[in-house]
Amino acid sequence: MNGFSYLLKKDLKMMLSGKFFLLAFLSLVLYSAYINLVYVRLEQGRYPVYVCDPNSRTAANLAYISKAESRRELEKACADRTSVGIDFTAEKSEIYMLSSGSEKTDHYREIWGKAVLTGIENTKTKTVGLYDKEEKSRREITAEFLFFELSAVGFLGLASILFKEKQMGVIRVHGILPVRKSVFILSKLCVFLFSDLLFTALLTGINVGVSDSFMILPAALLQAGILSLIMALIGLICAALLPDFKQFSLFYLVLAVFITTPVFLAGQTGISWKWLRYHPMHHLFTAMKSAYFGASAASVLYYVVCLGAIVLLFCGAVGALRREAAREG
Amino acid sequence: MIEAKDLTFSYNKEKQALHGLSFTVGDGEIFGFLGPNGSGKSTTQKILTGILKGYGGSVSLFGQEVASARTKDFFQKIGVLFEFPYLYANLSAVENLKYFASFYPKGQARDAIMLLEKLEFKKEFLRKPVSSYSKGMRQRVSMARALISNPKLLFLDEPTSGLDPSGAVLFRRIIEEEREKGTTIFLTTHNMADADLLCDRVAFIANGRIAALDAPKKLKEKNSNRQVVIHYERHGKREEKRIKTSELERELPFFSGEILSVHSQEPTLEDVFIRYTGRGLSE
Repeated sequence: MNGFSYLLKKDLKMMLSGKFFLLAFLSLVLYSAYINLVYVRLEQGRYPVYVCDPNSRTAANLAYISKAESRRELEKACADRTSVGIDFTAEKSEIYMLSSGSEKTDHYREIWGKAVLTGIENTKTKTVGLYDKEEKSRREITAEFLFFELSAVGFLGLASILFKEKQMGVIRVHGILPVRKSVFILSKLCVFLFSDLLFTALLTGINVGVSDSFMILPAALLQAGILSLIMALIGLICAALLPDFKQFSLFYLVLAVFITTPVFLAGQTGISWKWLRYHPMHHLFTAMKSAYFGASAASVLYYVVCLGAIVLLFCGAVGALRREAAREG
Repeated sequence: MIEAKDLTFSYNKEKQALHGLSFTVGDGEIFGFLGPNGSGKSTTQKILTGILKGYGGSVSLFGQEVASARTKDFFQKIGVLFEFPYLYANLSAVENLKYFASFYPKGQARDAIMLLEKLEFKKEFLRKPVSSYSKGMRQRVSMARALISNPKLLFLDEPTSGLDPSGAVLFRRIIEEEREKGTTIFLTTHNMADADLLCDRVAFIANGRIAALDAPKKLKEKNSNRQVVIHYERHGKREEKRIKTSELERELPFFSGEILSVHSQEPTLEDVFIRYTGRGLSE
């Protein structure tokens, strides 16, 4: 235990000297400022709606609806291929729109047009979901930023510390010390896990609100813990196996561009690819988001796979460290 | 203490690093392992210290096969000084030593500050980060790290590298003191002076094979051409004569009063090394 406490202390000092906590603090400030000062104030653009109602059959006077005096004017307004037209000239109302070229966008435009039409005709709306728009936005973006921080930025933290130790040659010294490689890794994981969990709690508390955080945090901390361990272990293996920081940077780029970005893109833009369900990061991302919305999306299989992945990565990290210890000086 | 029998090792199918090394190192002995770069010295040391697995033949330390002895107890008994001073650059000398000492049982580790004092480490640098140290200071801290656990078996790789002459003399004295305490020392070096002055026996290794193994004195004697060179002065003129030692028994071809100097033609350890391996140590 004496050795382990010294390992923890040493890893903490390495993190401090590597300005890791300062960077995490800056990320926290940056994300929180963006969420509170920009994101929650963003009004998502609606598709413009034009209504042609020469016989004044509807009394709708909504801010987002524009009037068209004639069918011709309606068609002209909808020529931008974005706007949705509703024509009340005939007895049966009709939705008019020109294709935008994207089947998906046209589908969304149609849904919005019908929703507006229904709203006009029934003048009744129904609240869907538990959260208002701001609450939803805050939870959504907090989950996404946390995923990004842990998977892309946090990954660098442990790797950079191990690279420093590699450059100093001290990993070779640990090869002849009466300490198991697993304990050497475990100490690093403990420090990074604690740091990531603290980051999760602070980011959630600041951006979702303290009272709501109590409901979210148990599930969010669990998902953050899983993601943190997986990414830290991948970072550790890469840093142990790759000979220099240049190669590591290249690998990081590949990881960020080809592994994390599709998942992030799909989550942010609504783009969906069928193959995404085979992407492991997608499941971690979904689980993280579900945690922030109180949904229990993750199955037992998910946790079993995560646990298996952590165990396998841990064994891989032990092997990679042994290899580094035996490397020619 | 150490017994290697037909030790072989290959990094891959085409590159065999060791070709059946056999040697023993007795308790309390200083054993020198001499060879040029790429000869297999480091590979042998890595096998002995339990870092490299997958060797052929057998190697036992403390009476136990290394492959099965890589336990906490095994690592508590050995100390290793690497060729380069591997230390945490952001920590001070004292912090480094306390950190490395923390892995050994409480009663086993030596006092870090006393050890550094013994190694004549500058006091004003004790609490400063290693990144501000000179090469010689780093080497002193590294030596302290290797000694901090009071090892029974000490592996030293180029211990005097990076030290000034007085530092090298100090290190040799400390190595002698360790041996007097009963520590067995496995010394890997290029430095012939270190090997000659410190080692009870040396092994010459080249291309993964032991070319010769004996006490330095014996190796030099065996390879001596048994000649002496005598410088003398006759009729105001300085002259030199090379004669066989057997001739010394007969009458000298000049008066003893004329002799200026007598030099035995004993080879240096490096000369002997070249005779056995066909190459120099610095190649």
